[in-house]
Amino acid sequence: MTWMNTLSGWQWAIFGALPFLVLMLYFLKLRRQVVEVPSTFLWRKTIEDIRVNSLWQRLRRNLLLYLQLLFIALLILACLRPGLFGRERTGERWIFLIDHSASMQATDMEINRLEAAKKIVRGKLATMQSSDVAMVMAFSNVADIKQGFTSDKQRLLTSLDSIKPTHRTTDINDSLRAAAGLANPGRASFDGVNDIAVADALPATLFIASDGGFAANNEFDWGNLHPQYLSIGTSSSDNLALVSCSVDRDSERPDSIEVFGRIYNDSREPVIAPVNLYFNGILVDASRVSVAPKQESGVNFQLSGLREGELKLEIEREDILMLDNVAYTALRPPRQANLLLVTPGNRALETALSTEQVQKMATVLIHPPEYLQTEEYQKYQQTQFLDLMIFDQCAPEAMPDTNTLFIGSLPPMMGWALDEPEGPCFVDDWDKTHPVLQYVELASIRIIEGQKVTVPSGGKDLITGNIGTIFGMAPRGPYQDAVLGFPIVRMNDAGGEPNTDWAIRRSFPVFVHAIVEYLSGGTTLAAASTILPGQPIQLTLTNRYMLFDVQLPDGKRVPIQRGSSGQTIFTQTETPGMYRVFAQGGEQPLEVFCVNLFSQQESKLEPPAELQVGADNVRTSGVEIEKRFEFWRLLALLALGVLLIEWIAFNRRVLI
Amino acid sequence: MSQTAAHEPAILPPELLAKLDRLELVSRKIFRGRMKGERRSKRKGQSVEFADFRNYVPGDDLRFIDWNLYARLDRLYLKLFLEEEDLHFFAIIDDSMSMDFGAPSKLFAARQIAASLAYIGLCRGDRVRLCRFSDKQSTSPVLRGRTSLNRLINDMHAIVPTRTPSMEETIRRFCLRNTGKGIVVILSDLMDKDGYEAALRMLVAREYDIYLVHILSPEEVKPSIQGDVKLVDCEDGDEREITMSSFLMKRYDQTLRSFIEQARSFCTRRSITYIPTQSDVAIDILVSQYLRTRGLVR
Repeated sequence: MTWMNTLSGWQWAIFGALPFLVLMLYFLKLRRQVVEVPSTFLWRKTIEDIRVNSLWQRLRRNLLLYLQLLFIALLILACLRPGLFGRERTGERWIFLIDHSASMQATDMEINRLEAAKKIVRGKLATMQSSDVAMVMAFSNVADIKQGFTSDKQRLLTSLDSIKPTHRTTDINDSLRAAAGLANPGRASFDGVNDIAVADALPATLFIASDGGFAANNEFDWGNLHPQYLSIGTSSSDNLALVSCSVDRDSERPDSIEVFGRIYNDSREPVIAPVNLYFNGILVDASRVSVAPKQESGVNFQLSGLREGELKLEIEREDILMLDNVAYTALRPPRQANLLLVTPGNRALETALSTEQVQKMATVLIHPPEYLQTEEYQKYQQTQFLDLMIFDQCAPEAMPDTNTLFIGSLPPMMGWALDEPEGPCFVDDWDKTHPVLQYVELASIRIIEGQKVTVPSGGKDLITGNIGTIFGMAPRGPYQDAVLGFPIVRMNDAGGEPNTDWAIRRSFPVFVHAIVEYLSGGTTLAAASTILPGQPIQLTLTNRYMLFDVQLPDGKRVPIQRGSSGQTIFTQTETPGMYRVFAQGGEQPLEVFCVNLFSQQESKLEPPAELQVGADNVRTSGVEIEKRFEFWRLLALLALGVLLIEWIAFNRRVLI
Repeated sequence: MSQTAAHEPAILPPELLAKLDRLELVSRKIFRGRMKGERRSKRKGQSVEFADFRNYVPGDDLRFIDWNLYARLDRLYLKLFLEEEDLHFFAIIDDSMSMDFGAPSKLFAARQIAASLAYIGLCRGDRVRLCRFSDKQSTSPVLRGRTSLNRLINDMHAIVPTRTPSMEETIRRFCLRNTGKGIVVILSDLMDKDGYEAALRMLVAREYDIYLVHILSPEEVKPSIQGDVKLVDCEDGDEREITMSSFLMKRYDQTLRSFIEQARSFCTRRSITYIPTQSDVAIDILVSQYLRTRGLVR
């Protein structure tokens, strides 16, 4: 090690002069306490011989002065931050990545794998020196920085204890990116200039406490990270897991349903185990499944006479990870949307709305434009009975409280506008990412006459043609309005005549189906959708209600609000199980969805011998870097100690 | 530190007076007094105690001729008797400003000791005179007999700390005014920067039976000064800056002991009885035990 100088010569001189300055102040200080004595006769005699060499005599055995000088010296030294250059392993800067995914709940080690990992990390932290820094990061499919870099062991241990098991899958990439961001210098790119480093490299040892179970990322570059893999778990992975479960109605017998599950055997022995099927908590069927080692097998149940309900598939066998022994699915509650078509006559549209798929989703009412003046329409308006109104070549006096589609007519509200009819029209482009136009092909349709649609602010142009936007959609409070700038059928004295050949193309019924599904919130699927734990789900909710409750598997209700687009994202999906959506305060579920740990990666519990991330194997690197050993904390502590002694000496007058 | 008369305890409390009644001042020398007293004198006089014979010279009192001896030897001899005389007791009290320190103050202790000794003298019919360092012109009256007790106490109360001349000057004046011999008790802290030696030499030359009561306060013996201080002399305003330390404290202690030893040595060599004491020593113990062992009273 070599001495590391932090100051220039003149700076050293200034600091070196400080003790002498203190000494001078000590002698020159004028604030002496005046004490009246009977006579200075004896004192004069006492200090007579001291005066001969007064300066040194005064300094002799004056403990307080010595302590003050020592204190100042230590303080100055501490301020100078003296240090030594040394060479030290990069392990002085540690990053702990702790896997807390579902597989870490396997009970093959002590309490579980997560606790075993925490114990190992705790042991590593115990060997930390005061100059070392470490950070703690938990990861599942997302990274969670529990504690940033600190040398405070207590905070690190507290953050370690705060890591709780999750039911999530594993994805280490986020965590690696976060760690690499701290260890590798950032780079900035400028036009015409090569990349330049914008920060110094901060090498660190990365400890990955995991049982593997994540996909390798061959693109990852370790850079200054020196990874060490702390393998958690035993090789004897006795685990049988449900990796898939689905339910569907029998296409030939609509009152029958079919439940299918796939079971994976992670152990090294073939396993035969009973699998039970519960419907609304009651055992309705059971089967015995035999699975070869490291292979999958299927199990199939057929049930009849069931319309809606919750299904639970369970492997009746004890293994080291019980979390993946259960799968949930559900038959959706049959829900029919109500749709009103107001048209002077449009066979193409009526035909498209009469398809089986649309009929499954919605009950369609068809009335002429005069119907808008009737009391029944007003009543529907008040009760919010309708989920979607389609106004074909007509418009109500006021906008109804529901989603609407205007075909060749203008909504009675500000913002929307239709230009004069022009023709012919061609479709140039359409938003293929929008659910309504996702599976629609519009390139070759022809339109005799169309009107340019002006969409209010906040809306979207979904179809654009040679005359401008011809189909747009815009939110109106909690509702959605859509306007198609050309009629399908033009009414004239002779009746109706086609305005476009779209009606005879396959894309038209697909478009109508998508409109009904998107704007009325209807669905044709029998099985509830299923997602992985922690994955957000997009719920399409009916526009009849604004506020909803989502009942979690533990029975707790979480309020949510329907978004303006009718789509609501729900994210509190940590726990596997059944989630039910109610209208706020309602008792009948409007929607259900399931959260299942369908991940073969999580169910494969045998930890790999080494991690294959990036181009290199995860091995300890022997790189050495320059490191600064600092003493200022020690000096500051010493100064504090000296100050304390001085205080005691001053108060007790022991030696002065 | 200074004590006011209002808060001062009685100088001679009744129980002390009762103890003092039994005591008597002792002189190591026989002095010639001015009135007949209870003490033997060097002078031959008319007491019943035979002293000596001498040859008759014309003019002698014929009443003292020893006729029996004339009958036997046929020569005239005069029979001499010892004279009994009173004792002169002088108390010289240092009433300088420096005596106004300590708890109780050194001056109070000096007054109490002086009053006690004076009372003993009054009880035995001795001539008592109280002098102060600050006496310049007037001469203090001579007290005699128990009836002077009240005056004695009043005189004591009248003594307050004041600016005084040096000890040498004080003693010189004392010697000029008091020609007789007797017991001289000096009560002082000896904190005179001009020294005390010349003053004591003068008294020795006048053949007084000298007692020096050296009074120090406990604060002087063991100072409680701490830190960096500026000492101011209460008499002449002299200033000394010191930084208290254990070293300095030790030095002071050595100086004080040396000072006492010097005074003791000086007094011993000149037959002066040196009596060091502290202002917080109880007066009854001081007089009945301490002074008795030193031979001032019995």
